[in-house]
Amino acid sequence: MAGERSGEDIVSDYLGQNPQLAQWVETLRGYCETRKQWLARREFILRNMEAFPTVEPGVPSSSLDRLLSLSTVWANHVFLGCSYPQAVMDKIKEMSEGIVVIDAPTHRTTMDGMKAKRSATTEADADSCVKKAKCGPNELDSRPAGRTATRPVGQKSGPPPQAPAEHQPFFNRLYKAVAWKLVSAGGFGPNLDHFEILRSCVESCKQTLSCVFVPLKDIAGLPTARTQKEGHVCEIRCQTVYMGTGYGRDESAAKAMASKEALKAFQGRKVTVKICRRRYKGRDVEDLMLLDEQPRSQGFPPALSYPFQDEQLEDGSS
Amino acid sequence: MGVPAFFRWLSRKYPSIIVHCLEEKGKECNGVRVPVDTTKPNPNEVEFDNLYLDMNGIIHPCTHPEDKPAPKNEDEMMVAIFEYIDRLFNIVRPRRVLYMAIDGVAPRAKMNQQRSRRFRASKEGVELTDEKNRIREEIIQRGGYLPPEEIKERFDSNCITPGTEFMDNLAKCLRYYVADRLSNDPGWSNVTVFLSDASVPGEGEHKIMDFIRRQRGQPNHDPNTHHCLCGADADLIMLGLATHEPNFTIIREEFKPNKPRPCALCGQVGHEIKDCQGTAREKQGEHDEFAGSMPVSEQEFIFIRLCVLREYLARELTMASLPFPFDFERSIDDWVFMCFFVGNDFLPHLPSLEIREGAIDRLVNIYKDVVHKTGGYLTENGYVELERVELIMQAVGVAEDNIFKKRKEDDEGFKRRMKEKKKRMKMDQQRGPAYMTTGQFAPHALGRRDRPEAVQNARHQAFDMRMQSREQHNKDAAQSLKAMIRNGGNSSAGTSDSADNRGVKRKAEDSDSEPEPEDNVRLWEEGWKQRYYKTKFDVDVTDEDFRQKVVKSYVEGLCWVLRYYYQGCASWEWYFPFHYAPFASDFKDIKEMFTDFDMGTKPFKPLEQLMGVFPAASGNFLPETWRNLMSSPDSSIIDFYPDDFAIDLNGKKYAWQGVALLPFVDERRLRAALADVYPDLTPEEEKRNSLGSDVLFIGRSHPLFDFIHELYRAESLEGTEIPAELCHGIQGTLNLDDDPILPDKAVMSPIPMLRDISQNSSIGAKFKDPQYADGFVFKAVLLSGAKLPEKVLKPEDFERGNRGPWRPQLGFNPNRQQAHLDQSGFRALGHSQNRNHRGRGQYSNAAPPSSYQQGNYRPQHSGGQQSYQHSRQNSLLGAPPSFHQPQYPRQQQYGGGGHGWDRAMQSQQSAYQQNSSRGQGGAGPGGYQQRYDQRRDNWHDRRDNRGQQHQGYSSGRGYPPPPPSSRYNWN
Repeated sequence: MAGERSGEDIVSDYLGQNPQLAQWVETLRGYCETRKQWLARREFILRNMEAFPTVEPGVPSSSLDRLLSLSTVWANHVFLGCSYPQAVMDKIKEMSEGIVVIDAPTHRTTMDGMKAKRSATTEADADSCVKKAKCGPNELDSRPAGRTATRPVGQKSGPPPQAPAEHQPFFNRLYKAVAWKLVSAGGFGPNLDHFEILRSCVESCKQTLSCVFVPLKDIAGLPTARTQKEGHVCEIRCQTVYMGTGYGRDESAAKAMASKEALKAFQGRKVTVKICRRRYKGRDVEDLMLLDEQPRSQGFPPALSYPFQDEQLEDGSS
Repeated sequence: MGVPAFFRWLSRKYPSIIVHCLEEKGKECNGVRVPVDTTKPNPNEVEFDNLYLDMNGIIHPCTHPEDKPAPKNEDEMMVAIFEYIDRLFNIVRPRRVLYMAIDGVAPRAKMNQQRSRRFRASKEGVELTDEKNRIREEIIQRGGYLPPEEIKERFDSNCITPGTEFMDNLAKCLRYYVADRLSNDPGWSNVTVFLSDASVPGEGEHKIMDFIRRQRGQPNHDPNTHHCLCGADADLIMLGLATHEPNFTIIREEFKPNKPRPCALCGQVGHEIKDCQGTAREKQGEHDEFAGSMPVSEQEFIFIRLCVLREYLARELTMASLPFPFDFERSIDDWVFMCFFVGNDFLPHLPSLEIREGAIDRLVNIYKDVVHKTGGYLTENGYVELERVELIMQAVGVAEDNIFKKRKEDDEGFKRRMKEKKKRMKMDQQRGPAYMTTGQFAPHALGRRDRPEAVQNARHQAFDMRMQSREQHNKDAAQSLKAMIRNGGNSSAGTSDSADNRGVKRKAEDSDSEPEPEDNVRLWEEGWKQRYYKTKFDVDVTDEDFRQKVVKSYVEGLCWVLRYYYQGCASWEWYFPFHYAPFASDFKDIKEMFTDFDMGTKPFKPLEQLMGVFPAASGNFLPETWRNLMSSPDSSIIDFYPDDFAIDLNGKKYAWQGVALLPFVDERRLRAALADVYPDLTPEEEKRNSLGSDVLFIGRSHPLFDFIHELYRAESLEGTEIPAELCHGIQGTLNLDDDPILPDKAVMSPIPMLRDISQNSSIGAKFKDPQYADGFVFKAVLLSGAKLPEKVLKPEDFERGNRGPWRPQLGFNPNRQQAHLDQSGFRALGHSQNRNHRGRGQYSNAAPPSSYQQGNYRPQHSGGQQSYQHSRQNSLLGAPPSFHQPQYPRQQQYGGGGHGWDRAMQSQQSAYQQNSSRGQGGAGPGGYQQRYDQRRDNWHDRRDNRGQQHQGYSSGRGYPPPPPSSRYNWN
């Protein structure tokens, strides 16, 4: 039963039994605090009083100030969108376990449209049956608010730095295979079956291609003029190394386009595997890319898949 | 005041308040700089008594300038500050007082803004570095070139806050500077110098106001003192008006919008960091001779004449048939008060009042409507009549709905227009002219050394051009056909085909238009109030108590701000504890909401304030144990120092316009936490943490000199009143300085590159403003004996017939003598011009005219031709330079260097032409055009090339047209 009641009810019952405590705790309310904010912070304070045994109701002390400070840190994080040094964040995360705030506001901390969504309760709050704040589908990957969210996560989850060197020999072989294949096909041109060429070359080097398809309408963040109902985008990788992206009306057209794009890199004098930064799901990530020597006039298309996303990344975000 | 648009609005609406400064530059003779003799009469034809410097407006541009390379170290910064003050002193030439005020500890109400600025600066710094590194990496990968990263310690502008070592050094350096000038510069010899450094609490401009107010309040004050206040903040205008001194002028740097800024990565001008391509630097000038020089001119200064603003306001505010006698001075106070609704440093502005949408005009109209009902003025001596204010607010509240709707419409119209414009620009850019002549017919720049050569074999050339253009057409057609085939008619979706030129272009352009931040409040839709309170305050609109709380705080804020401007700081502790303002329509029953402020509040100590405004990243300015409080999880004030915070754009476009959602500082907890670490302060830090005093300095020839010298000899320990007759009626209490500057005691230079003053002849003493009893109210009135300056604006009832034509006044002096050149002089000029028509004669070595003298143009008086030449002559011979017209092209014409004179003349002409075609001359244009045509005939033979005129014309067109100005209406 108790699990179905909100924490607020429990707190008010508790305070009803301790009128003196109730009176005292009310003095800690900030002037500009809304009722909702205050109730949440009050719960935080009351729940953590035991952890600060030197706090005595009605007696100002430095330990009380510390508790108040941490409660404000938590409230600022939830209601204002502030973030604090990691050690502080860890501490309030622990202290706020079990407190539920329904419908906490969202705030953006950086200007490049990064949404920093704080889900109000601690995510570890799995056993609580309380209905959580309604979250949109993209808010499920709740990341910690603030700069931590915008920092490129590449260091942790990107490809290892030695990866380009490891992959380079294979692509040197592939380069030769493609070159011969193109010579026998009469040179690179629009009338080739690009995917077939690429596939056969890769397979002749004892590897396979991996294609990822995404319907165009599922790609968020495109300008409205671009959001067409139909059409697919295909991304081709080989051994986790990105080779090309293409768009087409159906999947095979997209695949053909992506292969053509990939083959373009083989038109230069050599191909190189490099770690580059590009966008993936609205974040900057480090990706393994196959490049020719030509300087690129523009950035890379955003990645559709990201093979280097390991558990660490998932951990870091929860 | 936090209203950047305020000054622009004011200067457009009331253009005559602005007068350009004339600055006499120091000359150089055989490599020796000859300083300007500031004892001479002021070239601006006005004499100022007092010059007040709001030093923070000087310190910031001198320590981290935006338009020139930053000084390398602190010493260079100090020297830059000295030079800046010298420059101002030279322009203004005060005869009695120089008052230098550095921001001290600010009232709590201001600290929130300071805090937000410093946290933002820190956050932006980190973000900029991140972005720089990212783009740098990208560019280098692409094979671009970037200059190596400078290894240089970034100057943290956050150190310009009271209590830091930097500010302490600055105070020392300024003492040295004052002693040096008083001893060595004759222009300073009779000036009383006040230095109020960062250890004296209060914002700079408000310390100045306090000084003026307290001098005005005592009987010996000269009511006709001419004040000149230096600073760029718009609230100086309010402060100046609030003094009710008739002669008050503000001097500030001329605001030049859209100054080019170099890219932070490659240092080249012309693009922003995100568009940096890492291309090789373009050659500056033919042989790269201009490399390293920034294409900006030195900042010039303008005066803002508040007496003219008062004239304008008198016109606007005067109301007939009032139920109470009209008092212009009181209505000015009301106007100042209403400007606070639109924005100030202490309160967020009301959502419905936006200065760019004419909010002040709207308020003035409402005011004039409502004042009949209110039965009196809104304010008196800085105290607010709340029930009358409520009437105004309710009237604004009625319009609120429509304001929001209109804002949305305007916004959408603007966006649509911008989009169309962009489209148009792109079309123009891509296409270029339909047909370009090439080969020997190709367009050439004029005035080059290789003169045009005779055309050879013209028919063949024409044939070539014809063939070429046909080929081009074919190519274009083929290309577009190819593109069509390749995309299978689906060209708009070219996400991947980067060989397809069109697809790529389209993509780049689309990503260019940044996604609009979503606005959840949607003020233009029904239910806006509910949504506003929900999103901004996170409360339901039904939470009446909370809304009342916000309104109450805002009402207190309005009272506090007005009191601050008229009486000084009423409470050092009060602040507005929310991030957003309520709606005008919420101001109901506000009369009971405010009674008075707590008396006897004390300002923070400097280091305490540092703890209150600095982010943890700037903690290096604080002692270590103090710094720990900003980052340790066990600190009892850790909640004040978030690492990162949200910025709510609040309907604005740029981050710097948005609201930083920072937590407020709990003063009790701050003080409690600091009590523990106070013992850790070193004696040096303790000194920095203490409150200081204003200091007065004078030179040996000042009448007060012997008096103060005697005080030191007598070692008098108690404060001594200044005898009023010795110092132009200035009053105050003198105390001996602990480490005084005394005559014949050498002053050591704190800056290695400057000399010690061995022959010091200045003296300094602590100074305290005259004190008044608690509860004393400074009257906001004109003083008896004050003479109002002559009117400048054209009287509204000015009839042309009986008094002759109206002559606009362009400077301080209504009867200024204008330079004149007679017929023979003009002939001589024409003669030499004729000979040197290629611009390589003696005149090309003359300095280019520094400005255009619209003012000398008097069509009615003499023949247009003649007066036109006046202005030309003026600038050419370097006769006393006259009025600058900033709208007109200056740099561009002389950029070429070689052909200054010819071109200048041509474009000057075209500038006139442009004006006349704007049809602002009233009766003027017809006649003027005629004269112009005549003149053109005269000139026809002199011009070496008529095309040049057009060139000059088009270069003039690149500038925005001047705002409608009454200056041209001479009838």
